[in-house]
Amino acid sequence: MADVTLTWPKNYNEVPKAAFTRSDLYSEEIKRIFHGPEWHPVAHESELPNPGDFRTIRLAGIPLLISRDEGGEVRVFYNACSHRSNQLETAVMGNKTEFECPYHRWLFSAKGELVGCPNPREFVPGFDKADYPLGQPRFELFYGLIFVTFSAETEPLDQFLGESGETLRELMASDGRLKLLGYQKVRYDSNWKGYNDNDGYHAPLLHAAFKMLNWQGGKGRQYTATKRGHVCFESALSVASGPSVLKDKDLIAFKGQDPSVGSRIVQLFPTFVSTKHLDVINLRFATPIDAETTEVHYAYFAHQNDDADMLRHRLRQSSNLLGPCGLISMEDASIFHRIHIGSHTPGNAIFQKGVRDPGKLESEFSQNDESGNLPRWEYYRSVMGFERAEA
Amino acid sequence: MTDSMNGLEMALDRLLLADANALDSKDMKGWLANYAEENEASYYCRAAENTEHNLELGFMFDDCRARLEDRVTYVTEIWAGTFQDYRTRHFVQRVSHRQIDASTAEAMSNFSVFMTPMDTGVTQILAAGRYLDMVRLSGDGRAKFLSRRAELDTSVLPRYLVYPI
Repeated sequence: MADVTLTWPKNYNEVPKAAFTRSDLYSEEIKRIFHGPEWHPVAHESELPNPGDFRTIRLAGIPLLISRDEGGEVRVFYNACSHRSNQLETAVMGNKTEFECPYHRWLFSAKGELVGCPNPREFVPGFDKADYPLGQPRFELFYGLIFVTFSAETEPLDQFLGESGETLRELMASDGRLKLLGYQKVRYDSNWKGYNDNDGYHAPLLHAAFKMLNWQGGKGRQYTATKRGHVCFESALSVASGPSVLKDKDLIAFKGQDPSVGSRIVQLFPTFVSTKHLDVINLRFATPIDAETTEVHYAYFAHQNDDADMLRHRLRQSSNLLGPCGLISMEDASIFHRIHIGSHTPGNAIFQKGVRDPGKLESEFSQNDESGNLPRWEYYRSVMGFERAEA
Repeated sequence: MTDSMNGLEMALDRLLLADANALDSKDMKGWLANYAEENEASYYCRAAENTEHNLELGFMFDDCRARLEDRVTYVTEIWAGTFQDYRTRHFVQRVSHRQIDASTAEAMSNFSVFMTPMDTGVTQILAAGRYLDMVRLSGDGRAKFLSRRAELDTSVLPRYLVYPI
């Protein structure tokens, strides 16, 4: 039985605005979704390329330490000492092969073993260091993308990804052999669902840049995968044609080897968005901070085989095209804020474009349909235990 | 303090203040006018966290004069009317400088930027950090940016950026 209730409209294309704004839903979402049986991408292993490299993040409040040991193996730990749970590492990234908790000087290896602690003879009789490694959530890698889950119930990652895995692999340069270019990090004044509902998909109508650059979208496909409604877009490459208002046209140039690769977006429930657009490879790691704030780390990548010119091109394009100040995405960020404000009004948000029958859910969509978000909403409703109104 | 300020210091401070004034007035043409006419003129805005880990990616990466000119187009034409506008106030303080040759100097300054969104009216801190500037000096005692790097201590921005920092 649900601890919180919200009556859901009978039509699949309607979402109660209260879902974005009711603070009592938030703690239930953390429990059922973020700490529940879902997989969450937390980093790509190319963000820690060398032995001893580590990163720390917080996912829905839970502090994580991702480290690569001397032998090259990547592991995910809780970033908390196994003694009294003091936060173990404070740096966001760095290189260490040992982590020492300053509180009582417990020392851990990059494999998570407790390798030293002062005065263990004063501890509980029978104390054994082997019983106190760093705690670990379940984690799995998919072409280098590191996923964690905090539930023992979550199905294997392959099943979680379903058909979306193939598009995700292709998006990560087909082999996942990426090279980190850097981060853009930002907090949006938006509930995590408002961010997620509007980041992957949005109407090209929003983008004045497309019109001003004579940039027509390539023909493409949108589909949803698994019961969770992961949304995937695959579209032919399009490049701006005709006169441009830009003096540096490299910003919107495509220099990749295979134009048929085009544009891809993979959006996984609950918050992950990734995109490959022109020569930009961008993984967006997002976490709710509270009911009204979502933090997004935009990580940008090159491919390990890139020559110096391609690396430079990706760096120049990635910095200025997408993200919270990108030429064609700055206004998205503004929409996250405005949707969140506007949702504090009565009634439902009603999806229109691509909805052929409000009483049915589909899994294949046209490229610019907003109905691709609806399977995800149905999954959210079912996970939260909200009853749908009778037809 | 003023008594001891030499010509170079005065030229640098005039440039720092002219840039703050152009940004806070949303005068993008005025902003551009603070940069040297050379093709190499550049502006970067990036989290210091990236720089410290040898990651060159930035929030803004305008590594040539053409990109500086394009940034004026982004703000004044392409993005016009699509965002929640905000006021900014830049506070800038030069902390060190060095003359390299007759026509070049470098300077480092601290900055803090307040932001007041027009819709909420609630003032927040947008970013803090430092500017690393390479400055072109002309014979008449004037200075222009050859290169400006806004290195942000603020690695997580409190909102999207429309205007340069």
